[in-house]
Amino acid sequence: MNAQAIAQVLASGVLMGLMYALIAVGLSLIFGLMDVVNFAHGEFLMMGMYLTFGLAVGLHLDPIIGMPIVGGVLFMAGVLVYLLIVRHAMRAKANVGMVQIFSTFGLGTLMQGLAQYFLTPDYRQISDSWLANKTVEIGGVFLPQPQIAGAVVSLLAFGGLYLLMSRTDFGRALEATREDQGAVALVGIDRNRVFALGWGLGLAMVGVAGAMLANFYYIHPQVGGAFSGIAYVVVALGGFGSVFGALVGGVIVGLVEAMTTLVLPASLKTVGVYALYLLVVLLRPSGLFGRL
Amino acid sequence: MKRRDIMMQMAGLGVLALASSPSWAADEDIVVGAIYPMSGPNAQVGVDARHAIDTALQIINTPTQVDLPGAAGAGIASLGGRKLRVVYADHQADPQKGRAEAERLITQEKAVAIIGCFHSSVAATVGTTCERYGVPFVCADSSSPSLHRRNLKYFFRPAAHDEMFSEAMFDFMDLQKKQGKKVETVALFFEDTIFGTDSSTVQRKLAAERGYKVAADVKFRANSPSLSAEVQQLKSANADVLLPSCYTTDVILLMNTCAQLGYKPRNIVAQAAGFVEKAALDVVGDKLQGMITRASFALDTAGKRPSIGFVNAAFKARAGRDLNDASSRQFMAAIVLADALQRAGSTDGEKLRAALAATDIPGDKTIMPWSRVKFDASGQNTFASPVLQQYKGTGFVTIFPTAVAMAQPVWPMNG
Repeated sequence: MNAQAIAQVLASGVLMGLMYALIAVGLSLIFGLMDVVNFAHGEFLMMGMYLTFGLAVGLHLDPIIGMPIVGGVLFMAGVLVYLLIVRHAMRAKANVGMVQIFSTFGLGTLMQGLAQYFLTPDYRQISDSWLANKTVEIGGVFLPQPQIAGAVVSLLAFGGLYLLMSRTDFGRALEATREDQGAVALVGIDRNRVFALGWGLGLAMVGVAGAMLANFYYIHPQVGGAFSGIAYVVVALGGFGSVFGALVGGVIVGLVEAMTTLVLPASLKTVGVYALYLLVVLLRPSGLFGRL
Repeated sequence: MKRRDIMMQMAGLGVLALASSPSWAADEDIVVGAIYPMSGPNAQVGVDARHAIDTALQIINTPTQVDLPGAAGAGIASLGGRKLRVVYADHQADPQKGRAEAERLITQEKAVAIIGCFHSSVAATVGTTCERYGVPFVCADSSSPSLHRRNLKYFFRPAAHDEMFSEAMFDFMDLQKKQGKKVETVALFFEDTIFGTDSSTVQRKLAAERGYKVAADVKFRANSPSLSAEVQQLKSANADVLLPSCYTTDVILLMNTCAQLGYKPRNIVAQAAGFVEKAALDVVGDKLQGMITRASFALDTAGKRPSIGFVNAAFKARAGRDLNDASSRQFMAAIVLADALQRAGSTDGEKLRAALAATDIPGDKTIMPWSRVKFDASGQNTFASPVLQQYKGTGFVTIFPTAVAMAQPVWPMNG
């Protein structure tokens, strides 16, 4: 394989990696805030993609225009999921961890079932968006525009998230709540409100990811499965709860996955990712940027 | 009474119940099990399979004017006109779920035969389960060649397997070469379950035998989130013919990734599966213009076999789409099974097996381009002649073998 082909593989890896990071950051955010792993994460990605598709078909809104709307809807979904499900699951007297796992896992299964029933198991794709089928070629390396857009949005979202966390009262409240849930009550921060907004923010991020993904990926009730598996690895690699870790973890997973195919058969491309993950677990169990 | 006595009595009752069940089931429907992916990435296949088999039931259970075995009467005449009823089960593309469902259908639903399973990996476990219970398995649409080579007595496959399909592909490529077109290198691209690996094994062997160079040999993980690196390998090899074996999700991702990376395969000769699924064609059909696929079914030859038009209309009324490669085979599996039940005059596993083994249906009494349905000792119909079709506009045109071709192939498909 020549240098051009290797450059192509690396470029594809980085673009996909930034997408993985954007998909995973919501998961990391929610975990960091309240130690809850959202097992319906992939299904919220699927929901974001279907919403984007609905806006594109029903209202002729390009995914890029639809993105803030999808993010907003998912934000509200996140608040509702916390208030209606997770808040109650966290009150369990015994085995709180298990109750949380089963409640979000059950929610995911329900969402998949509903999507298959109401939206049919047919595959959908947004074929006439602004960026569809457009590609930039630089010295023989092809960069699909929808994926470039996804990568740019991912970087912007991470930038925005950084500002939100470090420069606003809400961000400080979020940070404080994650440091000590009990103590924040003493200074007048409503824990439930912060958690609900945290869930909203986490799912809004995955909604934005879904909108950008729908620009170049097929949409299907089970589409979340392929990505949520990777999202868990990204979060574990970058460090549970670390926003910056999700960004670095996503890019590493994308790159390692792509580079593995240069030395191993393509069917084994996840081997590289999991080997790296095992290495991190052995040497630095909290993940690269985790603070556990 | 001692506990042991109670146990013995209960066991005795169980045996009685088992022994007496046929007598009180006599005027009930004959139950057949069908195991398909009803959820998961290939759920649409299962949904369509249900429509296809229900279409066959409609023809078998009510008197119908169409030239197919068992169409004229109502129900199975030799069994007192008892009707066929199909119980569907979902295997979710998981061989272990398939095995468990086969067991449930046979022991609890009292299925007299099983039809399935689309995924070859699932057909493998369902086949051995049926063998264990002595219940015939009519393998409708799983095409891995290894399936009928396992010495199973109760395994029957009316349709062709991938070796026959791949042979037709290489026959076709030989013909193109003979006509002076450039066909020297092939690229294999296949998913990592039994379907893809079996298909590639045959294609690798045929390529070596007939002097084609394998320029790329890419095994990929099914349902991957990305195929960029894999497509880059295909692009670097730029073979004369791309020979893909993959299911719907991967077809969509493959064709989108090819377009994104600026790769136009010169020719695609596909092992059907995802390449003939409406879901994939709806989404990436524009990128598949000129793609050639093997097929068991040729809708465009309806002029030669009138039953095709009738069955397709009946199916379309239920499913809202035309019969395709998979649904036509699912339909025929039910017809072949009903024909055997009629000749067996019994739902007993061994008698039904013997009747299936003695099947001999002429090709014009099927909806397929087959010359006949007649099983060899391993349960494979060796007369299931495959065809090759080319995708043009939104439909398939039969281009090979020349005897049944409806049009000349466009070769190369992408300049």
